[in-house]
Amino acid sequence: MNPPVPATPLIVADSPAQPTPSAEPLAPPHAGPAGQPLLSVRDLVVRYGTTTAVDGVSFDIHAGETVGLVGPSGCGKSSTAAAVLQLRRPHSGEVRFDDVDLTALDERQLRPVRQRLQPVFQDPYGSLSPRRRIRDQIAEPLRLHGRWSHSAGPRRVAELLDMTGLNPALGSRFPHELSGGQCQRAGIARALANTPRLLILDEPISALDASLRAGILNLLLDLQDGLGLSYLFISHDITAVRHLSNRILTMRDGRLVR
Amino acid sequence: MRATAARAAALTAVLALTGLLPWLSGTDPALSLLRARSAEQEPTPEALAAIRTDLGLDSGPVALLGRWAAGLLHGDLGVSWVSGTEVLPAVLAGLQVSLTLMGAAAAVALLTGAALAAPAALRGRAGTGTAAAVLAALPEFLLALLLLITVGVWLGGLPTSGWTGPAHLVLPALALGIPAGALLGRLVAEALPAVLEERWVELWQGAGTSRRYVTTAALRRALPPLVPQFAMVAVGLTGGAVAVETVFAVPGLGRTALGAAKSQDLPLLQGAILALLTLGLLAGAVGSAVRRRLLGPALRDASLTLPTARPTPVPTAVPVALGAVLLTTIGWGLLREPYAIHTTARLAAPSAAHPLGTDALGRDVLARLGHGAVPTIGTAAAVCLLAGLVGLLLGFLPDTATGFADVTNALPPVVAGIMVAAVTGPGTGAAALAVTLTAWPPLASHAAALTQEVRASAFLTAQRAMGASPLWILSRHVLPAVAGPVARHAVLRLPGTALALASLGFLGLGAQPPTPEWGLLLNESADYAERAPVAALAPAAALALLAALAVTLAAMTTRRRTTTSQRKSLSLAR
Repeated sequence: MNPPVPATPLIVADSPAQPTPSAEPLAPPHAGPAGQPLLSVRDLVVRYGTTTAVDGVSFDIHAGETVGLVGPSGCGKSSTAAAVLQLRRPHSGEVRFDDVDLTALDERQLRPVRQRLQPVFQDPYGSLSPRRRIRDQIAEPLRLHGRWSHSAGPRRVAELLDMTGLNPALGSRFPHELSGGQCQRAGIARALANTPRLLILDEPISALDASLRAGILNLLLDLQDGLGLSYLFISHDITAVRHLSNRILTMRDGRLVR
Repeated sequence: MRATAARAAALTAVLALTGLLPWLSGTDPALSLLRARSAEQEPTPEALAAIRTDLGLDSGPVALLGRWAAGLLHGDLGVSWVSGTEVLPAVLAGLQVSLTLMGAAAAVALLTGAALAAPAALRGRAGTGTAAAVLAALPEFLLALLLLITVGVWLGGLPTSGWTGPAHLVLPALALGIPAGALLGRLVAEALPAVLEERWVELWQGAGTSRRYVTTAALRRALPPLVPQFAMVAVGLTGGAVAVETVFAVPGLGRTALGAAKSQDLPLLQGAILALLTLGLLAGAVGSAVRRRLLGPALRDASLTLPTARPTPVPTAVPVALGAVLLTTIGWGLLREPYAIHTTARLAAPSAAHPLGTDALGRDVLARLGHGAVPTIGTAAAVCLLAGLVGLLLGFLPDTATGFADVTNALPPVVAGIMVAAVTGPGTGAAALAVTLTAWPPLASHAAALTQEVRASAFLTAQRAMGASPLWILSRHVLPAVAGPVARHAVLRLPGTALALASLGFLGLGAQPPTPEWGLLLNESADYAERAPVAALAPAAALALLAALAVTLAAMTTRRRTTTSQRKSLSLAR
């Protein structure tokens, strides 16, 4: 097993406000290979009709760890992400998260689990509703899981905006009034609303231009330091993956190689 | 699969209904037949019973339907009750005429539509203005009458009745094609600006892509949701053909159907309706095939994002002014006596005593217009509300709804009106029923198309990942995205609905005399257009005003709705 690569923040940032994680900095609780993994994927198979997109993939992610997943387009990275998130039910295999096999749960049973397992998507505009204000979209997971109250709700939204380096004034805007980087930060803020443990980052920076990428990567690193998050970081940008990841998995034709 | 089952069920129902027309008919066909065959024969019970036995009306619905279906399979549509000739040749002859007329009308429609959509496509300008909206809302019978009066009677030069040469095609094709083309152009012109504001357009322009290429691509993106409505416009031509053929005395299928319904020649009516239905079904099938072809895998793979449509602002003064004119006229007319007959003042020109003149019986036109607003607009509003709700509900069961809608869509209100009138006899209720039956599918298919596309958009995946239940997604995201446009669409269809009711009235299938319903009013006064032009133009102008009012109102209600919903979400967040 590879030793964790020390994460050094890049200098460039795209946002006027610097990301300031609110929680006191914790030492990332890197549980060694010996500890219980947070996510354990075994023999995952995803099929679209007769095509097999993911063919027997197995990997673990430990608490506080970032696992990079790289590979050419169409190799099954995003299908793996969708199957881990149970957005596309895998054909076979096991997705064990917090010691619960998600493939055995029905949609209703999955809902509480989903709070702790959140995606960040590639398209910053497409993953937000075009007809709702940013702050309402960030508040939605709170409302959805009954964590909204008139006093604490808006405070939490403000905190999330602050954590992701967004000016609180942007909360009243609509997605089309924001930049791509700002939308991606809003998407991350929404993912963080219910204090998840694992984020599935599916090409989170691919749709952004280079200067914004560093800002988002730094934000992700800061958030990980502050909140002890684990990441599955999917990208075809090997430099970004190296920068962020403790371990790197390479996929080709639906299988992990090396 | 479910759509196919629903389609089969709906088609069977309509066919069975058509086959059972002689049995369902509330008025005794034997009696009207006896009158049609020989005027002097007494309607004795024996004579009527003989006719019933002769037609097989006494053998019960199942046997009747079975015989009709068996004949249908052999290409035998039966024998006309009135003329005693084979139905099939008459239907085929009518079909040939109607298809020629519809082809010419489609060409007119494409030209009109292209001309109206051009400013939006070339300059990205929103909407096509009120004039185009009114043109789109103008019913074929109204345009046909106006053309008949202005070109045919006053200007001369073009034949206004019959079917003996290409010159006879001009006026009917214009009357049928212009409203359809205005609707097409308007739909495209309203869909384009939202698409042209999408980011990829900027990207392509920045990359130096030619304007023509960008416009083509934007059209390609704007068209798929509109294709079902295009198909419906094509179906509308079959209904419009009934009115236009009647006005210009063209021996087409529509006129055949109307004549058959009025003389209770049910075998001929069955044959004509079958042919009209087939035409409509074909148009619908082509429409959905084109839409699937245009959208392709994007619908399946949940990778389609929506262009967020932004309504074109309309100055508040426009609908206020239109409404004020209409309400003043109606209110003024309501204070007057609509049924009083002044035999000394028939077809009088406008004067202090009769501000809009009098009709052929010497009744006050202004009074009749005012009192006619209640049956015309009131019925239409009720029909719209009902159709909007049904459409919204069925839009969420896209498969079932599409199946039923494909069949009901193939029935323009006029054809449905002919069928309902053949069963219940003509009347306001029959007309309202026929229009409701045919008014929901456009709304349902609009709702279904929007639902399908919202469901295919990426942010709903994020919603599912968040743990949102289907009900949450439906009520918070899908419904708000769908209900607004569908409600707007329903309001937009108010003039269309009122005019559909009016066209049934005009054809004698709706409200009956002496009700001053506007379609009936127009029909009654049109005959005297040369002697009393104001009386003829008053109901026409009222219908056009109503169309303009509803269209401009629709734009306003949209704007208001978005601002209140934004305010609400603001206070929630606080």
